Amino acid sequence: MDPLLLTKREKHTLATQYADLCLTCGTCAGGCPVTGVDGLDVRKAVRMVLLGLEQELIDSRFPWLCTLCGRCEHACPMGIDLTAMLRSARGKRARDKVPGVLHKGVAMCLKSGNNVGIPKEDFLYLLDDLGAELAEEIPGFTVPVDKKGAKYLFTINSKEPFGEPEDMMYWWRILSAANESWTVTSENWEGVNWGLFTGDDESMKEVVGRIVTNYKELGCEYLVLPE
Amino acid sequence: MHTHLTTYHDPCNYGRKSERTFGQAYYEEPRWVTQQCCENFVEMYPNRVNNFCCGAGGGAWAAPYNEERIFYGRVKAKQIKDTGAKLLIAPCHNCRDQIMKSLRKEYDFMDVEVKYLWELVADSLIIEPREGEAEEAE
Repeated sequence: MDPLLLTKREKHTLATQYADLCLTCGTCAGGCPVTGVDGLDVRKAVRMVLLGLEQELIDSRFPWLCTLCGRCEHACPMGIDLTAMLRSARGKRARDKVPGVLHKGVAMCLKSGNNVGIPKEDFLYLLDDLGAELAEEIPGFTVPVDKKGAKYLFTINSKEPFGEPEDMMYWWRILSAANESWTVTSENWEGVNWGLFTGDDESMKEVVGRIVTNYKELGCEYLVLPE
Repeated sequence: MHTHLTTYHDPCNYGRKSERTFGQAYYEEPRWVTQQCCENFVEMYPNRVNNFCCGAGGGAWAAPYNEERIFYGRVKAKQIKDTGAKLLIAPCHNCRDQIMKSLRKEYDFMDVEVKYLWELVADSLIIEPREGEAEEAE
């Protein structure tokens, strides 16, 4: 077996602010439910990065098995940016190697304005239909769409219109009972930004930018992201 | 008012993530809301900043590693079962789906009902629906 020539490797391709302060105490890994899966853990991930095994970490499943919950980071006595490090390892994957549907969702959102590609007319029909259903319980209820000057702009988790549309009535009921001024938008209403999960800053920024545009154009006071 | 013993799951996004990104975590507000609707409340341990992730965060719910996601969730499942609660408030889409649709079945606690926070509030609002006048702000 040939020795690894670490000196020939490109260094610091991942976001590893403060990683060299690691005391190797293992507090991070000790409290993490996914420690040991694939023989890895977050402490080992830090060692890999510092020892030049960054590409091995990027190619491993570990950054994707981690849920980026940040419990390790909170406990780290040296304040190392562990989730930023692992997220940046996700971002270094070729986009066609991103596991499952995550990148497909990002690409779909850039193209259609939501992660699952619901066309505008279907979305508006759904809101109309569900609004009419709720009006049987709350007389006069309709879903306000693109309402200028509304106080609250609500973005929507595409999971709801896609698979669990009646769940939207929970927040509609509350807003109606509180007699609040609110609106949703007919386009770019997606509130779930999968670029956050895939380490894709550029796409993430684009999606956020569209929401901000809606918010500014409608002159809303508060922006609400899905529960 | 719900009488079942109720517990609350801290999503990492409302706690640790929010604090790190925006300098403000939300631990007490959702508990206050929950306790307005549920008179018997119990905490999971650990909770708040040290709470365990549901196991489906960071995109894991949409990723193909199901076996690992369920393995991850064993800690959350134990935390929930140890409380003895029959109602769990999980105010995050990911956490709610992981616990309600996966962990309950995998770790045998189908008797625990799972609700979003806004679902709890909406359900509490219409506990005694009134003819025609459901729009009273209360």
